[in-house]
Amino acid sequence: MTISAERPTEATAGTASPAGPRSGTSWTNRPGWMSQHLGTAIVLGFLGYLFGHWWGNYLASGYTYIANNGQNGVADFLGLAFMVLGWLLGIGALNYPIMKLFGREAREEAPVPGLSRYFRYTLDHKVVGMQYVVGVLMFLFTGGLLAMAIRTELLNPTVHIFNPGTYIEIVSEHGTIMMMMATSIVVGPLGNYLVPLMIGSRRMAFPRIEAFSFWIFTAGYLVIFSALFYGGFPTGWTGYAPLQNQAGPGMISYLFGFAVIGIGMICAGFNIAVTIVNYRAPGMTWSRVPMFVWSILATASLLTLATPVLFTAGLFGILDHVVLTSFYVNEHGGSSYLWENLFWFFGHPEVYIMALPGFGIVAEIVPVFTRKPLFAYKVAAAGMMGVALLSFFVWQHHLFQSGINPDMRPLFMLTTELISIPTGFIYLVGMGSLYKGKMRLEIPMLFSLALYFNFLIGGITGVFLSDVPVNVTVHGSFFVLSHFHYTIMGGLIFAFMAGLYFWLPKMTGRMMNKKLGLWHFWTMFIFFNLTFFPMFIIGLLGQPRRVFEYAHNLQGLNDFSSISAFCLGASFLLFFWNLMYSMIINPQKAPANPWESLGLEWQTASPVPVYNFERIPVIVTEPYRYSEPGAPAYADFGGGGSGTGSGSGTVGSSVQE
Amino acid sequence: MTDTYKDSLAPNETPEEREYEFRAHIGSLWTGGRLAIGISTFLYASEAFAYFYLRTSNNSHLWRLPGQLAPLYYGWTVLICLLLMSGLAIYGQSRLRKGFTNDFQVTGWTGVAAGLIALFFQCWELVKLPFYPGSSGYSSTFMGFVVMNIMTIVFATFWMETTAARALRMRKELGGTTPELSSAHTARSFRANVSSMTYYMGFVAIVSVMFFLMFYVA
Repeated sequence: MTISAERPTEATAGTASPAGPRSGTSWTNRPGWMSQHLGTAIVLGFLGYLFGHWWGNYLASGYTYIANNGQNGVADFLGLAFMVLGWLLGIGALNYPIMKLFGREAREEAPVPGLSRYFRYTLDHKVVGMQYVVGVLMFLFTGGLLAMAIRTELLNPTVHIFNPGTYIEIVSEHGTIMMMMATSIVVGPLGNYLVPLMIGSRRMAFPRIEAFSFWIFTAGYLVIFSALFYGGFPTGWTGYAPLQNQAGPGMISYLFGFAVIGIGMICAGFNIAVTIVNYRAPGMTWSRVPMFVWSILATASLLTLATPVLFTAGLFGILDHVVLTSFYVNEHGGSSYLWENLFWFFGHPEVYIMALPGFGIVAEIVPVFTRKPLFAYKVAAAGMMGVALLSFFVWQHHLFQSGINPDMRPLFMLTTELISIPTGFIYLVGMGSLYKGKMRLEIPMLFSLALYFNFLIGGITGVFLSDVPVNVTVHGSFFVLSHFHYTIMGGLIFAFMAGLYFWLPKMTGRMMNKKLGLWHFWTMFIFFNLTFFPMFIIGLLGQPRRVFEYAHNLQGLNDFSSISAFCLGASFLLFFWNLMYSMIINPQKAPANPWESLGLEWQTASPVPVYNFERIPVIVTEPYRYSEPGAPAYADFGGGGSGTGSGSGTVGSSVQE
Repeated sequence: MTDTYKDSLAPNETPEEREYEFRAHIGSLWTGGRLAIGISTFLYASEAFAYFYLRTSNNSHLWRLPGQLAPLYYGWTVLICLLLMSGLAIYGQSRLRKGFTNDFQVTGWTGVAAGLIALFFQCWELVKLPFYPGSSGYSSTFMGFVVMNIMTIVFATFWMETTAARALRMRKELGGTTPELSSAHTARSFRANVSSMTYYMGFVAIVSVMFFLMFYVA
């Protein structure tokens, strides 16, 4: 512990150095609307697109190849690239790098009051977290609408709403938007908002990189969405070559969108990993780090190290389309398998990028609502890191059916089955924490329990799929589709909902309506299972993914699944209504610690001040000492008034407020 | 690695807290620099994977057309410039550690010039290629490498330029021309940033040599 208990209540403020940050405000960060914000980003993004497209046409339209096929990939790519550049310039993400070129430091960020701060490039991790909440919900909503379109088409095997091309465009866009959303849905909103609070830090290590990650994430969303205006892409979210090379300009949106969001993911992971390693409060040894932070650290490591490979894969694809290289063209010395390898080298760790934060959330919630310490804390932490490490060695199981050397199959079957061991540890930690617990079935707890139920189904079918014979049999069928919806939606999205219901009172100071929340939970849980469980059967009966026609005898099951999916969609509308109702229409002030959690994030003032803690807390014990009479409070706040417990406080006293 | 340390974030911050946060900041620069190397390693590793994968596959016997080679003149020029930039960064840091700020500035700006020359030749090489980008696996991976290298050179040169420019503005705080080290927070933060930058430059040098051997020699 480096900050002793004897802390003066007043301190001399640091004198600003001559070369330090300049004070005062420039027009770029002036409060109000006459500065850089979302509006300027949209305008410059649009102008950037026009310029890039014009420039691309100017550069390349004279080439015979382009003149003959009437498709100018250079113009399409430059249009999107300059759109992203204009977007970042407009929001102010490039102000600081430009100032650095002149050896200057940034001006102090002026406090921006009111709502307008949420439309700006800001250094406050809490504002970035809230921006991410809105951003990922926008992703989720868009992807969800596309899912409804898919299920509508599948209501009848022969009467069609869309033509086959449109259908596959919708499927592809749905998959891509959802997968990109899912990689950031916890790390972005909850990771950015909560990690500094949970580790007792006043700030992120690199707040500008954090803000950059959000705004480039939104730019990536626009790029991927733009594919619809370019005629979409026919490859599904996996973008397999050689179909990738035969696709139209929408494919460039897909490839470039992946690369752009990839940059955002790298930045987000980088910043959070560095923050956790360096900014933990005094006394927060690795065995005292909250489990959610462990999960975010494991995820951030994966984001930082696996995503560059996705970026490279996207870069190669863009080069294939724009300057006609042949990375993925077998006939010209390339290989379509190269894409599969690069894509899945990122893609499988991505599965755990999506799974681990979900387990981190429920590991945080379950002890609160069972009033029990987290069972086998160290096993859970080791499990998180074990999964993260092993996830780099399993990607070839996605290629079992794609021409992998048969001798390699047992090896990757083994590694895939191995990864179920640390995953099982994490799962059993949850079960151990529930065992003999006095459960309070509040909404966050219900969503947490639902995760364990759903993930059990998703996880066990995953073990089946790792087995080569089963994999070969059900490859490309609805069985696989159902499996990953059970793990990603049944795991991650349920955990995200648990997290939102649990932490929104802290983030917004308002309680979510319980009655509406219960309706939301039960409809979502029931109709999720009614939507996706039949798909296991549909898959086993042979219906392939991404095909809009199917055998007549499967119509009953498909209709059942579709109608359930509409109800599932309606459950999300209930959630959005609850959000609007509880936050805007009929806001109810949340108590300081409504769930009686011992977590550090609940011990600081509400609303959380810009600097998070009046005094940097000193961590004095393990994080989950619920129901331990006489246990000391988790942290010593030095009498600064931010914490609920004093240095000699007890658990009981620390949860009273 | 470009965020700099702000002395005081919260009102009434105690000296102990300020020191604690400062140490966290220095640690962040250290960790961030190494993590940046990790990110770049995976970027280049995927490029190397593509190179060896396509080379081994040799689909349609088109890994490489007979006599196909990227222009050696440009390759050497870029390599020498990058090695010079890296060497200057390392030398400049050693001088900075001894308090010779002016030496650091000279090496810094010279390194930036070397980086810009490398960038120019790396870009110019693209318009002087003696083969079509899609004529073979080799030509494709070479294009991928060049684009990736351009991004790395831009990043490395930017980082070096910002430290050199910052050193100019901070020359009094850094100790001027006298061989002594300032213990001011901003100066220590600056030196930590330079240290991370130097490590990254070392990485750039290693990668440059490896990929030069792969694309221009092997």
